[in-house]
Amino acid sequence: MFKRSFKGGVHPLSRTHEGKQLTRNKASQVFSPEYVCIPMNLHLGAPSEPCVKKGDIVKLGQLIGTPVGFLGLPIHASVSGEVVDVSEKQQLGPKKVMCVTIKNDGLDTPEEPMPAIGTCETAEPKAIVERIKQAGICGMGGAAFPLHVKLTIQDEKHADTIILNGAECETHLTSDFRTILERTDDIVHGLVAIMRAMNSERGIIAIEDNKPEAIEAMKKAAAGHAGVSVCELKTKYPQGSEKQLITVTTGREVPRGKLPIDCGVIVTNVATAAAVKSAIEDGLPLTHRVTTVTGRVKTPCNLLVPIGTVVKDMIEFAGGYDGEIAKLVAGGMMTGPAAPNDDFSVTKAMGGIVALNKKEAISYEEKPCIRCARCVSVCPIGLNPARIKQYCDANDMAGAKENNVMDCIVCGCCSFTCPANRFLTASFKNMKDRITLASRLGGKK
Amino acid sequence: MSDLNFNVSTAPHVRTNETTTSIMRHVLIALAPALLAGTYFFGFRSLIIAAICVASCVLFEFLYEKIMKRPVTIGDLSAAVTGLLLALTLPVTAPWWMCVIGSAVAILLAKQLFGGIGDNFLNPALTARAVLLASWPVRMSGAAFVNPSILGRVDAVSTATPLAYGAKLAEDTSMLDLFIGRIPGTIGEVCKIAILLGFVYLLVTHVISWHVPVIIVLSTGLFTWLFSGGGIETQLIAMLQGGILFGAVFMATDYSTCPMTAMGQVIFALGIGLLTAVIRCFAGYPEGVTYAILFMNIVTPLLDKYIKPGIYGDTKDKKGGEKVA
Repeated sequence: MFKRSFKGGVHPLSRTHEGKQLTRNKASQVFSPEYVCIPMNLHLGAPSEPCVKKGDIVKLGQLIGTPVGFLGLPIHASVSGEVVDVSEKQQLGPKKVMCVTIKNDGLDTPEEPMPAIGTCETAEPKAIVERIKQAGICGMGGAAFPLHVKLTIQDEKHADTIILNGAECETHLTSDFRTILERTDDIVHGLVAIMRAMNSERGIIAIEDNKPEAIEAMKKAAAGHAGVSVCELKTKYPQGSEKQLITVTTGREVPRGKLPIDCGVIVTNVATAAAVKSAIEDGLPLTHRVTTVTGRVKTPCNLLVPIGTVVKDMIEFAGGYDGEIAKLVAGGMMTGPAAPNDDFSVTKAMGGIVALNKKEAISYEEKPCIRCARCVSVCPIGLNPARIKQYCDANDMAGAKENNVMDCIVCGCCSFTCPANRFLTASFKNMKDRITLASRLGGKK
Repeated sequence: MSDLNFNVSTAPHVRTNETTTSIMRHVLIALAPALLAGTYFFGFRSLIIAAICVASCVLFEFLYEKIMKRPVTIGDLSAAVTGLLLALTLPVTAPWWMCVIGSAVAILLAKQLFGGIGDNFLNPALTARAVLLASWPVRMSGAAFVNPSILGRVDAVSTATPLAYGAKLAEDTSMLDLFIGRIPGTIGEVCKIAILLGFVYLLVTHVISWHVPVIIVLSTGLFTWLFSGGGIETQLIAMLQGGILFGAVFMATDYSTCPMTAMGQVIFALGIGLLTAVIRCFAGYPEGVTYAILFMNIVTPLLDKYIKPGIYGDTKDKKGGEKVA
């Protein structure tokens, strides 16, 4: 069968099935930690304002952080118990962030669910978007972009297609795969709700072909839902990147510098769709997610955890580290940031953590570029990374911009494939941030 | 608070096993058949020439980097590749001092003075060959190419260069001889089977793609036909004789001196084919591959600057323009 793919891309860790073998057959286990530490910046945009104080008793699903700004989202208690601390703590980001720490009483006493607004098939479109906002749902695939903002579009635009991203092209992670298997119907219903909210004709659930069980299950669940289909993708990184996904599933390209909605598409993660279903039909806010704990831990596993669970506790639950650990990656190997320690919390968008031993956590030394052009051939956007790197090294912002550094999606393919181990992706990310900052500062003057 | 302290680095955290050294090792392996075939046809001296060239290239690179207090990069094997490439483009009669001078030109003049690996704009081995050809034309042609295995069959000594045979070659040397390598020429260029073996190895190990060599060889044939006519056999001979195959597979595919984009590489290869044909058909030199490749090397930075790959989403008003249902 013809499998859809895109130009460029790489196959990281293909010899070990992208590291997914470790956890792909492990059903998600419920893990309820003693404490949760919920950071107020779970989503992209301004951090929420804590609305509880030390000593308060909170219920599961109770509002503990109120949204701030356009991209703000409410945050809910993910366990029931006593608030023991509200203070700034170091998470994965560069700055300390306000965190609410709750001692779990283990009872999960629920807060009153949000009022019923009907089912995914009957709810009013406006009510759906409003509910998604109230439930604090953001994209659970990595970027943590608030979903209701994505769904609030200008009148002249129309999203005729909604794509659910179940590609999970990153290495090691299997949390989306488990979610697809375990919440198949919820995902389809969530998709139907989003399609209704946007008045879309088509819903596509895109899954890589290294997950045949997921494709099978999803096809069964999607049957009978008008406009919903499953798209089988070739396994290749970065198949789950928004732009690549849109092109392989619909044949459209997102215009440069624009958003997917500009070509009539909205993309969100499969786990997000499941959260949408719970929010609409059960009135539950987003408080839990499945996350993969894998790599050099004694028993690699998928855990259904409350948001805010500290990674250290999850590692302990997974039997602890297997040997000496040199690196801890929050996410997959291609894009996940490396954590300095294991004292940080699971966010709404964290698909997993990978522990690496010394042999795997190689530090690379940058060697001279030999112009082999491997980076050019793997770049899914069609850039010339080697050339852009010259401008980055020379600190030439104008030159980098002229060579389209702003189109870079920071997928990591160029760095992965570089025989001279050049830090291409990192340079581009840095350059992009600097150009964005410069244009922002320039705008203020 | 956790007392653990992990390595922090930027993503991606996994890289290919491929390194500069492993790529250069592949090239050395790919060159081995050509060297062995050369040894078979021209004798043991071929190996000595190869050894002198490789050793002096590596030594010059080492000395230069030591003196200039730069990191020593002989471990990446690129100097060894340059040495072997140079040796294979020399006649078996080349004296030792020509090998050493050639190596000095390749490593010092063409490579290191412009910044070392990746920064040279001319192919080092070819530059050295061009300099030797211009400095000692007699030693680089004519009797120098005598191939012992065909002595007595073709009066190679009396002809100026292998390509100067022209019609004579078509009569006296069969296509099979041309293909196997029972012809006069430089050490590495005569045996087409060995070169194709190396080509296949480079393709299998993903060191090069087929585009540049194939386009060069085919376009050389095409342009020769356009300029001088002749039947299919004449074109086949044009594509097999001289250094065209060796140059197309091993010289034109040099990373540093060929364009990085696919489109740029196609133009580059067509340019080499065209120039080779022009030089062979209209110029005084019988062998045009060296200069054709060097000329296109110089054009490469321009090709890299102006031929940009198509960027994702760079289509004007494609909004809603659905291609695939």
